[in-house]
Amino acid sequence: MNDERGRGVPGHLSDDLLVTRAAEGDDDAFAVLVQRHSGPLLALAYRMLGVLQDAEEIVQEAFTSAWRRLPEFRQDAAFRTWMYRIVTNRCLDVLRGRRPVVPLDAVVEPTSSGPRGQPARAAESAAATRALDEALRDLPPAQRACWILRELHGLSYQEIAHVAGMSEQTVRGDLFRARRTLMKEMASWR
Amino acid sequence: MAVDGTTAVSGRPEAAASGQPAASAPAPDAARLVGDERLPCGRLVSGVWDQARGLLAADASHAAGCPYCRQAVAGLAVLDIATHTLRRDEPSARTVADRVIDAVRAETRLGRLVPLDDPGGDLRISETSAAKVLRRAADRVPGVRAASCRLTCLDDGSTHVTLAMTLAATVDEPLPPRAVRVRRAVAYAAWQELGLAVIRIDLTVVSVLEGIRSPAVPEITPGGGGRP
Repeated sequence: MNDERGRGVPGHLSDDLLVTRAAEGDDDAFAVLVQRHSGPLLALAYRMLGVLQDAEEIVQEAFTSAWRRLPEFRQDAAFRTWMYRIVTNRCLDVLRGRRPVVPLDAVVEPTSSGPRGQPARAAESAAATRALDEALRDLPPAQRACWILRELHGLSYQEIAHVAGMSEQTVRGDLFRARRTLMKEMASWR
Repeated sequence: MAVDGTTAVSGRPEAAASGQPAASAPAPDAARLVGDERLPCGRLVSGVWDQARGLLAADASHAAGCPYCRQAVAGLAVLDIATHTLRRDEPSARTVADRVIDAVRAETRLGRLVPLDDPGGDLRISETSAAKVLRRAADRVPGVRAASCRLTCLDDGSTHVTLAMTLAATVDEPLPPRAVRVRRAVAYAAWQELGLAVIRIDLTVVSVLEGIRSPAVPEITPGGGGRP
């Protein structure tokens, strides 16, 4: 993929190579990094916050701040992990500053349409997915972050520990509790 | 899970809580240390999950009749299916990517200014812009990609500059002939495209490039008009 917004930069360059170029001010190289990573990062922020506009703002801020900080970025962590770390921490800050939402005391009832009116998807499966999404939002922020990073983004325990600034043991504990809570919520959808 | 959840049934919480060290005392229940849970039947919840998902060999004689194990996996299958759907349900990042790229381009870092080789000696170019052109020249050599590219002015009142470039290269053919080609391509671009008087080019191969079959753009062969 030769990305049109990363003018003249071969799209299959590794992140490390692009980071080296971008750190020296090459905005074309940075554009390729943005194209490559904005999808997963936006998905992460959106799943964490539940509001697309807030998620977009956080991802935009995270990239802009990364662009400014790149000259000092030492590359002992991968760019992807570094960005995950920035976005996760911003999301956790936002969630900790938010007033707690009204707890969901019952799993939502199945409805005939999908979460965003996608008729092709089986109604029940869509409703179960929506129920999961809502149950996810009721988890404490740290548990939510651990579960999303592991189950939706496939990060290892070690990567999550680095990204969320926790010990690996805390990650395992949070992940276990998150799974148990979500399974309880989903049990009525069998 | 790092904890063996299928057979470990010896850890008794009350023994672990007594805090006796010594070889004879049972080891503390590792499950609790990592936030896992041991069911009354002795199985770890995480292990029962892994069995239900087929990641661990199932202990069929036990799980089928055990109410604790059955309860522990209630909701697992439906959670896994919903998780799979959620994973694919990503919002489009196109708008945010475009906004970031526009913001970054508006904030371009010029870097240092280096002199062009004009008779008056007062024309300069930003190192960042020059480096883009020079990296692109190196990228055209098959099996090579440029990484860092730094220009240094000599402190002797001349317009001479030196260039240090790091490269990633494939290892399917010897490096020295390719280094010659990179040097030639970069020198040509420096002089012909930019008008820089580069008097030395230091190349360092810093990493191995994998999976590159052809150059991204056609290589430009200097027609002999380049310098030095």
